[in-house]
Amino acid sequence: MRPQDLRPQPVKATATPEPSYVSYWVFAMSLILGLALSISFTRVYGPWQRGNAEPWQLRPEERDHYMMAIALEFAYSSDTAKALDKLIALRPDGDPLALLAEAACALGSRGYLGSDGGIKAVRSAVKLYSAQGRDGCAEQLLPPQPTQASAELGTVQRPVELQSTPLPTKVPLQDVLLATPTPRHHPAPPPRRNFELLSVRSFCDLGRPALIEVYVVDYLGRGIPGQRIRVRWGDREEVFLSGLKAERGDAYADFQMEEGVDYAIDMAGANDALGTSLSTGDCYSENRRGLKSYRVTFVER
Amino acid sequence: MPRFLRSLTLGLLLGALVGLYFGWVQFPAESRNSRLRDLSPRYRDEYSVMAAASYATDGDVSSAIESLSRLAVDDVPSYVRETTERIILNSSRSLEDIGLLVQLAAGLGQLTESMQPFLDMNRDRA
Repeated sequence: MRPQDLRPQPVKATATPEPSYVSYWVFAMSLILGLALSISFTRVYGPWQRGNAEPWQLRPEERDHYMMAIALEFAYSSDTAKALDKLIALRPDGDPLALLAEAACALGSRGYLGSDGGIKAVRSAVKLYSAQGRDGCAEQLLPPQPTQASAELGTVQRPVELQSTPLPTKVPLQDVLLATPTPRHHPAPPPRRNFELLSVRSFCDLGRPALIEVYVVDYLGRGIPGQRIRVRWGDREEVFLSGLKAERGDAYADFQMEEGVDYAIDMAGANDALGTSLSTGDCYSENRRGLKSYRVTFVER
Repeated sequence: MPRFLRSLTLGLLLGALVGLYFGWVQFPAESRNSRLRDLSPRYRDEYSVMAAASYATDGDVSSAIESLSRLAVDDVPSYVRETTERIILNSSRSLEDIGLLVQLAAGLGQLTESMQPFLDMNRDRA
């Protein structure tokens, strides 16, 4: 045996695999997680291009306003087919005119009738869907229009006022001196109802917390529907109408208060607004805590 | 640990990119949550014409401004002027629609030279 044979044999390097750059399991799981999160985000957030929506993609309250614009255009053009086309473009689930009636009703109940523009829009919508045999609640929400009689009177009077009668060639002086101005009949404005505040009482009803209940009655105590009641708080205000909750009678209207806010109530035709502000707070009934409500009554004078 | 973080980051990033592509580009959500301000230019014009028609009915400028302010424009009169001029330039709406917009622009004190012929045309029709 030679001496070099006694040297230990070199150890064969065992090939340990180099760890890969990424862990495939972790990568796959996080890929799935990333996909799920981002797809969810795009569903919740909506389309990327915000300024590229079509009318059918409008959210319900904005769609209502769009429908009022359609109704207003109809008031100008009287083109039912065009209005229907635009309503159908909103891709309603059912009858487009029924959707219009619902929109008019919803807007009317949300204080949209507080402005002349709102009244005009809802009136146009009612005209459009009524002409097609549909009905809704908006008709009852609209304030009364000038009566037919007074409108006719107006149209009759106008030519009389504008028409110039040919003068006689020679007017007797005595007639001129004695002539008294002819009384002109102007169309009477729609009758305005006057109201006064009869009572304000607080009450505690666990089933009806923080509510302002308003009753509008005539001098015989009969409910008067369709009267506009205004509630103001901070720099905001809202108008609501009596008689909308049929089950509570023609006189009834209500408004939901929030805690810590002072509300003032008045109504058209009432000389004085409610002197004190109304705010809710704790009250107790049957040993249970509730929120104070108010019952306000306006009576026609 | 760095390998884990590297895998996690790469996976999340790639997943998010692919998800956003599919969610926004390939299969965009048919959202019903848009506002009037999000309408495409075509439908903004359509809405503007409807407001102009309302103005033509009764000459109520404040009502037209109220309607158009829902498009979230800062200055409604300028918006009406720019929209009307653009539509005239592109002839992208009918003559009747242009006439309505011109009438509204005039009502808002935004009449320009390019609108004048359409206003005259409206008067001739009336």
